[in-house]
Amino acid sequence: MDFIPDPSLDAFRHEIREAINADLPTDLKEKQIAYAGSQNEPEDSLTWMRILDKRGWAVPHWPVEHGGTGWSPMQLYIFNEECTNAFAPDICWGSSHMCGPVIYTFGSDAQKERFLPEMRRGDYYLAQGFSEPGNGSDLARLRTSARREGDRYIVNGQKIWTSSGYFAEWGFFLVRTDPTVKPQAGISFLMIKMDTPGITVRRIPQLNGESDLCEVFLDNVEVPAGNLIGEEGKGWSYAKFLLDHERTTSSFIFFNKREVARARAIAEAETQDGVPLIRNPVFRDRLTRLEAEATALEWSVLRELSKEEFKYHPTAAASTLKVAGSRLQQAICELEMDLLGARSLRKFAYDAHDRDAAPLWPDYSETVTPRALVMRASTIYGGTLQIQKGIISKLAFDL
Amino acid sequence: MDFNPSDLQRMLLDSAERFLADRFTLEHRRGLRATADGLDTEAWSTFAELGWLSLRVPEALGGLGGTMADVATLATALGYNCVASPFTSSVVIAPTILTGADQPQEALLEAIVGGTARVALVHDEPGDRYAYDKPRGTTAALRDGAIVLSGQKLLAVDAPSASHLIVTATIDGDLALVLVPSDGAGIEKSPYPLYNDQRAADIRFDDVAGGTLLARGAAAQALLTQALDLGRIADAAQMVGSMEADLAICSAYLKERQQFGQPIGKFQALQHIMADMFVATHQARSILYAAIASADADAAPPALARMVSLMRINLAEAYQVVARQAIQLHGGYGITDEYEVSHHYRHQLVLEKLYGDVDHHQRRLAAL
Repeated sequence: MDFIPDPSLDAFRHEIREAINADLPTDLKEKQIAYAGSQNEPEDSLTWMRILDKRGWAVPHWPVEHGGTGWSPMQLYIFNEECTNAFAPDICWGSSHMCGPVIYTFGSDAQKERFLPEMRRGDYYLAQGFSEPGNGSDLARLRTSARREGDRYIVNGQKIWTSSGYFAEWGFFLVRTDPTVKPQAGISFLMIKMDTPGITVRRIPQLNGESDLCEVFLDNVEVPAGNLIGEEGKGWSYAKFLLDHERTTSSFIFFNKREVARARAIAEAETQDGVPLIRNPVFRDRLTRLEAEATALEWSVLRELSKEEFKYHPTAAASTLKVAGSRLQQAICELEMDLLGARSLRKFAYDAHDRDAAPLWPDYSETVTPRALVMRASTIYGGTLQIQKGIISKLAFDL
Repeated sequence: MDFNPSDLQRMLLDSAERFLADRFTLEHRRGLRATADGLDTEAWSTFAELGWLSLRVPEALGGLGGTMADVATLATALGYNCVASPFTSSVVIAPTILTGADQPQEALLEAIVGGTARVALVHDEPGDRYAYDKPRGTTAALRDGAIVLSGQKLLAVDAPSASHLIVTATIDGDLALVLVPSDGAGIEKSPYPLYNDQRAADIRFDDVAGGTLLARGAAAQALLTQALDLGRIADAAQMVGSMEADLAICSAYLKERQQFGQPIGKFQALQHIMADMFVATHQARSILYAAIASADADAAPPALARMVSLMRINLAEAYQVVARQAIQLHGGYGITDEYEVSHHYRHQLVLEKLYGDVDHHQRRLAAL
């Protein structure tokens, strides 16, 4: 065992930090610091990817031949941490973490050539069409159908929880191409251009005022057969591949570390009878427990990254990161909200920044509550907390 | 002891459940966001006709002279239907102060009962964190025999739709409760919604004349404390009603929603969440009763304060179980603005944080 990180990584971190400081536009950073939603505006993801791409860093984890950097897992970890700490927008995960890896692993050469450079450059946003109104946790029974007619598929059905679906140019969809076989075997992975006739997108208003999640209705949508990725009927295994692909991201470790620091800053700024709340035992206790949890989570992620030999099924470790990380996201954001007391209750307009009109209110009062509200979703998306616990008990203990 | 509703309470509850469920649909409540002050004026007139606004006005002054148990009966129905209204301000807090004032404000109480006046308490100031027994920066001065108010107030709940304001201020080093019409010269309101769509305002008073001194010194502090404690009970009752709505909504959803070929209510993981929500809600109604009993027995102020703070601590934990898990049980639908559970979450969140959070009540208990 060697618990000390490679000292050469310090220089790497320094280089990354300098580059991000130089490249990240101030307006983008300030917008991100004051962001009240779950992630960021999709156009900001594309802007940031275009900037990163100039250094060849837009999709650093991809294979080098498709534009990756060849960095080690620890270097990637440092890069992502520095981006988060600098309040850079996230890159478009639909392309970088989901669809991209499926295409470079299972796509044809023509598909790789067609899609990967555009995705890497941030030419457009990618929407995910997996969940359906009747099929969330039970994704394998999805019903959106794709019927083959000559050189195209005719797609009919409805998808839901598609992030930034209103903004995306392309979507990657799980569709049922064979209704006669067992549910998992009849699913295929299809690229669909979002402006194809027959597609209607509706933005769903959320509890924090944003409306990023969308419903996508598909009514006799004609899709060229060449947009099928890999083999017909293999869509389920591709989806499982991509959900397993990045085991550590669902921990939101960088967000958690950054936000626990922000919670501490708020606890230092907010006062009770002139005394900072950080000196109030109730709040200090809550904060230090979260700092302990975030520290544990960070080392759980490091164990995963350093390929520790693990006596349990590896997916049980991934689910552990998801369970611990999602709970921590909620607890931190809710502490930030609670620190403000009744002043957390004011609903600012989601889109227009009212701050100039509210000089009596601290900057962060505009954003902590909407973020805490929408963070309720973190134990729902990507497999609910209950599904994750089921996975752990099954894969770790065969229960 | 009898925990069953009295005839009056049964009547209140029946009329409330019918009227509120018909009127305050999700669509209607979302529509009220577009109104200037968030108030459903037509419904408020109905509240008056049904006698709800007279509950805490003594019979001698033309009211029903009802108990806090009566108030809670109605408040749970409001909470059950997720109605964010100036109920606590105008039906509990203001009548307590206006009745207990050195000169009871009979004309204004009559107007409250008739639904034509609404009164908000204006207390918080910049830099405050639940500072209910701290000197006020806002001043009340006697000038030519009249009260003149000056100062900056923050987060005055229900002020945007109020006709009158009860303002806490410092007069010669004493706490004063001053009543002013809300449209007087020198009053500048900046209104905004809270997360449950209830309205509040920051208010600047610049040499505002025409105020009435309701109480000062120890009497004013005692009156303020009593009004807030009764207000906390009314808000708690709304929280309990809202939590009980979550139970009904979620249990129906677990039976209806199918995944893996069966209703999700068949999964033990979800059954246990539902059972935890049930236990928390049951306990919450019980501790609400404990606080009501203290209030309706006219317990000494410290005894009432203790019971109210214990109740609020319990409710703050209970709602976290109930309202948050209600969202969890609904999956993605739970975080949309289009399903009831996210509205109940935001409503309970607001009610939990008004007039003291867990930390405030813990410190108050420690100081008793």
